[in-house]
Amino acid sequence: MSWAGILKPDTWVDSVKASSWMGLAEAFMPRTMRDTSNPIVPPDSVSGRALTVVIAIMCFLACLTAGAVYMVYQSAAAWSQDLASEITVQINPAKDVDLDKQVTLISLFLAKQAGIDRVSPLTADQSAALLEPWLGQNAEITALPVPRLIAVELDRSQPPNLDALRSALESTFPAAKLDDHRRWQAEIRTVTRSLALGGVTVLILVATATISTIVTATRSAMASNREIIEVLHIVGAKDRFIATEFEKHFLIVGIRAGLMGALAAAFVFILMPIFLRSLGQGSLAAAEFRRLLGPAALDPQGYLVLVLVVIIVATLCKLTSRYGVYSILKSNE
Amino acid sequence: MIRFENVGLRYGMGPEILRDINFHLLPGSFHFLTGPSGAGKTSLLRLLFMALRPSRGLIFLFGQSLMECRTSERAELRRRIGVVFQDFKLLDHLTTWQNVALPLRVSGRNESDYRDDVTELLKWVGLGERMHALPPLLSGGEKQRAAIARAVIGKPELLLADEPTGNVDPQMANRLLRLFVELNRLGTSIVMATHDSQLMEQFGAPQLVLHDGQLMIRE
Repeated sequence: MSWAGILKPDTWVDSVKASSWMGLAEAFMPRTMRDTSNPIVPPDSVSGRALTVVIAIMCFLACLTAGAVYMVYQSAAAWSQDLASEITVQINPAKDVDLDKQVTLISLFLAKQAGIDRVSPLTADQSAALLEPWLGQNAEITALPVPRLIAVELDRSQPPNLDALRSALESTFPAAKLDDHRRWQAEIRTVTRSLALGGVTVLILVATATISTIVTATRSAMASNREIIEVLHIVGAKDRFIATEFEKHFLIVGIRAGLMGALAAAFVFILMPIFLRSLGQGSLAAAEFRRLLGPAALDPQGYLVLVLVVIIVATLCKLTSRYGVYSILKSNE
Repeated sequence: MIRFENVGLRYGMGPEILRDINFHLLPGSFHFLTGPSGAGKTSLLRLLFMALRPSRGLIFLFGQSLMECRTSERAELRRRIGVVFQDFKLLDHLTTWQNVALPLRVSGRNESDYRDDVTELLKWVGLGERMHALPPLLSGGEKQRAAIARAVIGKPELLLADEPTGNVDPQMANRLLRLFVELNRLGTSIVMATHDSQLMEQFGAPQLVLHDGQLMIRE
């Protein structure tokens, strides 16, 4: 049924209002006039801006944590791979044993075994150099009964049976001990898992704080927009419609704040290698940091982790506000 | 259409402001709701559009008991009712056009379906040039007309109006009343709260008279 049948023209207005110039005027009216995508919950309010800042900070912290955990994982994976591709044979000094000869014989023995890529015996000086960090640059180190080492690189495509190799080696050369680095790998796994657990704990804390903030913000937004909710109810809006309107509002806040936090975190990750370089190569802190995190720079997948954090934060904002609105509307019934 | 059975209303632990209200309004009826200030006209209207629950008694709307209505059913019932408030209740951050279109928007209709209807109605109530204005920039009379347009845009089965002509000049009041009469002629039941005895005499519709919390029907 058209309004034309109901709205009967009368003399004093319709002769003017129904004239064609109104149509012309409409052409110049702003599109927003008819834009029902305009949010029903007012987007810009002081509490909205404060909320954006709080969520941006939360997202920044979450991105820093996630990025750091990712870098540690990457470094640990690289370490594990290096350790798994190598074994070390240690020859202990003993009376009446020519260590240099033993090293040569064992190197030749190892080179003949299947699944071995390269055998690199360390000289006595190289072995002594490994002790320098603990004993200092002392000329007498070589006089000590320092074990000799042989680094063996394995063929990763066809690795040897290490247990068979160990028993063959140790039965032929009793002074030799094969170290397959399993203990180190296990320790690296433990350290990595501990760091990941710490990171996940921080992420859970950040998520909890974000949820609490959104719940409070939803309550505050609903209280300050009580009249809007009343009008929406009166014109026949269902709770789902109202919840969707608030969800949209908080989703936009979440995306905006999430991107701000993630960009700030990305900026930190971009600047970190420069900062570490500025500490100088000799700095102990910088050296330890590099040892832990490698080059301390995120790779492209690392930046995808930051995008994932933004998506999670925005989703958290959306779902929390939805739950908050429903529970408030239910309690108001 | 509307049936009240022994309805009473009190706010909190205060005295009953509506007592033993009984009436039955048929579909397509036109009633004025009148009485002195504070008699409970607005409270009665609030009961009708389900903004309040009665302290006792039964209310039936469109044949359905409001006591047994679920939230979603209430929303469906409200879509069949248009309400004009004394204080307009327009949303200040939406334009006049968006405010008037709100009932259609919340019902999930496409904007393209109602765009022309909203514009046509706004022109008819004399707000053709104020469609893009925000309510704080409208005069009292303009807000009143926008509120009326919002109430009638969905062609409701029941129109509740609280002093709808209080803020407009007599000429516009007459014009708006003719809109109500036309809607009533097409089947909309109308309950209009007013103090204007001249208006009630002019239209000669039956009156629901509230006095001291009780209701009397004057044919």
